[in-house]
Amino acid sequence: MGRMAFALLVFAALALAQSPSEKLKLALDRLRGPAHQGVYELRVERPSSVRTYRLRVYTDGHRAHLRVLEPRSEAGQAFLSLGEDLYLYDPRLGRTLRLPPTGRGERFLGSDLTYQDLMGRDLEALFQVAEVQGVLVLTPRPGAPTPYGKVEVYLREGLVERILYHDQRNQAVRELKLSAYQRLDGAYLPREMELRDLQNPGYRSLLRVLEVQVGPVPERCFNPLYLERGC
Amino acid sequence: MSLLRLAWRNVLRQRRRTALLSLVVVYVTVAVLFMFGFLDGYGESLVEAYAQYVEAPVVVAREAWWEDPDPENGFPSLPPLAHPLVQAATPRLSLYALFRSPYRMQGGVVLGVDPEGEKALSRVPSKVGEGRWLQGPGEVVLGYRLAERLDVRVGERLVVETGKEALGLQVVGLVRAGVGNVDFGGVYVHLEDARRLAGGGVGATHLALRVPRGREEGVAKALNQVLPEGFRAKGVWELMGPIRADYEGSRLFYVPLLGLFMLLAAVAVVSTTYVSVRERLREFAVAESLGLSPARLAGQVALEAALASGLGLLAGLLLGYALLGYTSTHDVFGPLMRLSVELLPEAGLSEHLYTSIRPVYALYASLLVGLSALLALLFPGRLVLRLDPSRYVKGE
Repeated sequence: MGRMAFALLVFAALALAQSPSEKLKLALDRLRGPAHQGVYELRVERPSSVRTYRLRVYTDGHRAHLRVLEPRSEAGQAFLSLGEDLYLYDPRLGRTLRLPPTGRGERFLGSDLTYQDLMGRDLEALFQVAEVQGVLVLTPRPGAPTPYGKVEVYLREGLVERILYHDQRNQAVRELKLSAYQRLDGAYLPREMELRDLQNPGYRSLLRVLEVQVGPVPERCFNPLYLERGC
Repeated sequence: MSLLRLAWRNVLRQRRRTALLSLVVVYVTVAVLFMFGFLDGYGESLVEAYAQYVEAPVVVAREAWWEDPDPENGFPSLPPLAHPLVQAATPRLSLYALFRSPYRMQGGVVLGVDPEGEKALSRVPSKVGEGRWLQGPGEVVLGYRLAERLDVRVGERLVVETGKEALGLQVVGLVRAGVGNVDFGGVYVHLEDARRLAGGGVGATHLALRVPRGREEGVAKALNQVLPEGFRAKGVWELMGPIRADYEGSRLFYVPLLGLFMLLAAVAVVSTTYVSVRERLREFAVAESLGLSPARLAGQVALEAALASGLGLLAGLLLGYALLGYTSTHDVFGPLMRLSVELLPEAGLSEHLYTSIRPVYALYASLLVGLSALLALLFPGRLVLRLDPSRYVKGE
């Protein structure tokens, strides 16, 4: 009887054991949170200046609509991320522009965050995953369009806690920290995201979730036509 | 002949004055030779840079691509080419892209090439200073200054992104061509990768042809007669862009300036001759009373001016050609050109500039002698023509 219980335990453990890729996928699935509307604060720190933005965010976990509320000088700018497609509305131009895929690597509102950091799943698409002493070590797939030589993903209880980007000389160049996870409607949402440019001391960007209202987001929020008028 | 001998004796009579007068001519002759040698050398350096590194001696593309160099205006298959002077041909695909390293991002133009075909056409493959030239897809070769700006090294990955596709390519070589466009902006990838980056459907955007030097414009013109509708060939001069206007502008500026120099030198010669004639009016009066016609005397004055400036011309030619000889074989202007390349990295300037030597410069400079003689005939010569011999013979 005892032997049988032990064998069942082993089988269960094997069944539950996840490959590094599966661990990464699950962690990324948990990263975006449930469908929600909210207000985020983005603080962009530079050695000689600090700039703070307030953003209205609509997301269903895969798609995101972000609208700048403050500062007043930049209010009205809106961004829509639909998988590979990225749209930008600039009230000064009065036009909605579709950015090419290259735009996903660009800085979001001049911060250290890129559009890819906010919504992308590059880590899954571009890297092959291995696990070394509990850390997911990602190395680029052949020909993958990533400038990084290695990315380390630190997990805590299946949630991404820290992502460390290394250049091709094994030197850490960017660090993304995620914290204050909240369980909302069966999903997780990090309430704080900190990104540091390790090449430039004093360059840091902080994204904090101020308000969050879990629930379905109107479909029109993910229509580029609503970028200008709001949803 | 006796007039020439007389004129020569008079020139030698006032050696110090002749020497000073000749010095002016020497200076202007050297300036004329040097400026033409420099301008021609600069032009040749530009042609060399564009024909061998930046573009090609002749490029064939669709009219639509010449108007808008978008890969969509390229061609799926190569047009037929028939000209006996075409020595080599290779397809290229150029497209705008973004280059991303872990540290920097920069936009530029990627040139998709056939690695072997390119060797037959361009000097870029032979100028790889570190690493090696392209061998297959998945590789990229960069200008060394661009690599410094992006902070990528041989063996590392560079991301090349277009609006349609992105690729992580391995840097296999760095080019040190000494030509601004190549060193600061050269990005060479395999044609297959360029086709992927362009989104497929485009075989090449243009065809680069090698033709003998100096025949580029002629071959382009001949090809335009036989190319299918919608295609156009351009010779290297047409491919040079704004720097060509700069070069032609320089010529337009310097040629009249040199003309002015020559005129001023001729005026200096003539004014000296004028003083000399005024001092020798009695002598001319005596000569006229002895039977020499006023016209022959005026001719003698012109001949004296021509001989004096001719002496200067001879010395100037010797000195000028010696200077050109030296600067055509020694990279005297290297530091200046390196600075220019640094300031204008996309102008297609070469880091080396050697002056040109052509016999025709001597002809340009000798115009000064003719001009001096003509002016001497017009001004001091007129003094002699108006001379009243009886007045001078009487000593009034």
